[in-house]
Amino acid sequence: MTADLLLQAAVSGVLLGGVYGLVASGLSLIFGVLRIINFAHGAVMMLAMYATYWLFTLGAVDPYLSILLTGPLFLVLGIVIERVVIEPNRFAAEHNQLLLTLGLALFLENLALVLWQGDYRTVRPAYANASFVIGEALVEVPRLIACGGAVIMALGLYALLRTTDVGKAIRALAEEPEGAMLMGIDVGRIRAIAFGIGCASVAIAGALVTPFFYVAPDVGEAFNIMAFVVVVLGGMGNFVGALLGGFIVGLAESLGATLLPGSLKLLVVFAIFVLVLLFRPAGLFGGGRGR
Amino acid sequence: MLRARVSRRNFLTTAGAVVAVGAMPALGRAQAKEVKLGYILPVTGPLAFEAQLALNGLQLAVDEVNAAGGIKSLGGAKLVLLPGDTQQKVELGNSEAARLMDQGVSALIGPFSSLVAYSVRQLTEKNKTPFLLLAAVADNLTEGGLRYVFRVQPNGKAMATLTMNNMFEMAKAANVAIKRVAMMHEDGNFGTTMGNHVEAFGGKLGYALVQRVPYSLKSPDFTAELSKVKASRPDLLVISGYYGDSKIIAETAAKLRIGVHALVGLANAAYSNPKFIADNRELTDQLFDGNYWHNPKSERARAVFAAYQKRFNATLTSHGVQAYAVIGVLRDALERAGSADRDKLRDALAKTNLADHILPQDAIKFDDTGENVNATPALLQVQGGKPVVVGPARFAEAKPVFPVPKWRG
Repeated sequence: MTADLLLQAAVSGVLLGGVYGLVASGLSLIFGVLRIINFAHGAVMMLAMYATYWLFTLGAVDPYLSILLTGPLFLVLGIVIERVVIEPNRFAAEHNQLLLTLGLALFLENLALVLWQGDYRTVRPAYANASFVIGEALVEVPRLIACGGAVIMALGLYALLRTTDVGKAIRALAEEPEGAMLMGIDVGRIRAIAFGIGCASVAIAGALVTPFFYVAPDVGEAFNIMAFVVVVLGGMGNFVGALLGGFIVGLAESLGATLLPGSLKLLVVFAIFVLVLLFRPAGLFGGGRGR
Repeated sequence: MLRARVSRRNFLTTAGAVVAVGAMPALGRAQAKEVKLGYILPVTGPLAFEAQLALNGLQLAVDEVNAAGGIKSLGGAKLVLLPGDTQQKVELGNSEAARLMDQGVSALIGPFSSLVAYSVRQLTEKNKTPFLLLAAVADNLTEGGLRYVFRVQPNGKAMATLTMNNMFEMAKAANVAIKRVAMMHEDGNFGTTMGNHVEAFGGKLGYALVQRVPYSLKSPDFTAELSKVKASRPDLLVISGYYGDSKIIAETAAKLRIGVHALVGLANAAYSNPKFIADNRELTDQLFDGNYWHNPKSERARAVFAAYQKRFNATLTSHGVQAYAVIGVLRDALERAGSADRDKLRDALAKTNLADHILPQDAIKFDDTGENVNATPALLQVQGGKPVVVGPARFAEAKPVFPVPKWRG
């Protein structure tokens, strides 16, 4: 029986970990390029979940298809936020930028409260309850799709950074801002694009989780905190590290839930977080540098 | 912050309108007195929606009393509600309570949060103002020999133990033995209190709590926890939680074929919530929930239920029922006191013996600590897309479906 429980925990952990990984990839990218810790990341995810909800409710748009709309929309939204809110404070002290994104998060969450009240909303496409069993472990189809989609998106992001000019510019900026500027890279533009891409990835993560989750103004917090742990684990600014870190955190959480009593599962996650900070402050997979 | 500003403005507009509406008849008949009742509720902030439900119940009840001629022993004095907003914060609860007492309210009603209530009750005691608790469940709020605190609704202990009692009586009637109980609860004050009572009550009803899982509200996945619950082969799964977490738990339990006689919510924010039920009819059908409710056998309660539906275009649920009941208790005490004086009102409240109410219980009476001795939650089951009372038996409007075949897996 215990072996079944462990198998179930492993499956659930991996499925959840993929989503953590995608959320964290965006956060990590933003940190790598802009050198700010974006506390508004979860709030952007929440907005994307509302977008998915309204597209589904009013336009009967499938949550997964809606990514074609929300992805570009949040890319643009991210660019606008960067230009209007972040760029003017580019040379402000680091703690001011931190407070800025925190303020942005509070603003967005309260905006959602005003616009859509506090009630919980649900997106229920026909396949919401689909599931199958491997061995004795339950696999929920929407969670599987979310994990698969997250991995594909994260790999796509990686390919974009490796092969395209914009991607190379982003990496150059992450690695050596002054050198990049001297080489004629339009730093302001690349910063905005990087922020936009970060927002688009978290928006896609939001759309992917909506079919098995719920939508509420504070819904982003659940993923935001985990994303911070994942980013530290994988190395600030390291995208592949973020994806792998996502799987580690997801597994730690669900194995913790199986092996430990009560709500100690988060203790495992945060213990890993503190241990990594103590012994591998650059992350398990090496820090930053737009790898 | 935008939220606070905009919704406070809305709130003030509404509040102003309420005061105006309440005051207008009084202006018309210049000599008629009025009795001021203050409420402190989290009207803005994360619990704004729930607070509005309670506010609706208060308004409905006050308007009914006034339309029926006010407080007769006070020469037809009208009830007037004075607003206070706590935003679920202790310091605001204190300052709003102090302000309302300065404005001469005869009693205070509120404040949802047990934490806020714990602090405000010191102030009301000092100012000798009756404080009628609303939606604050912590057991210790009536402890400490306070004279001015009264609670109409069941406290945490009554909620947990009477719900388990109701389930066991139902199981006995169905000839089903319940020996093993599993419980999942959120790990805050509310869930933990419920968990402690369910665990402690096992000895009395003869069940073992085979699995107790406190969980973090924000957790996005409960598959591992529920697998553990399933492996412990419980007869019942009891869940105390808020909306989002309870939703995911029920969904995952169904997919895991959890194999219990029933899923039972305990003061659960989702399982008897009309919105949750409408969102997922198949999943929610035959869920149980022990919660505050009106008495469906009472003609008066049915009339209130219909009036609420008509006026607010919404179902009267737990918070509205409790708010309505509190005004009923105050009206009765004011009639007997023949005075809006706080001390006389307090003494009248202490002697309350009110049979004419809408709750599923015998007469409302308070013990020395101010707890309603007959307070009881209703046992609800979702049937045909709405929560119906299935226990205690003498208040039941429908027969329970138990064991629930689909949860047997």
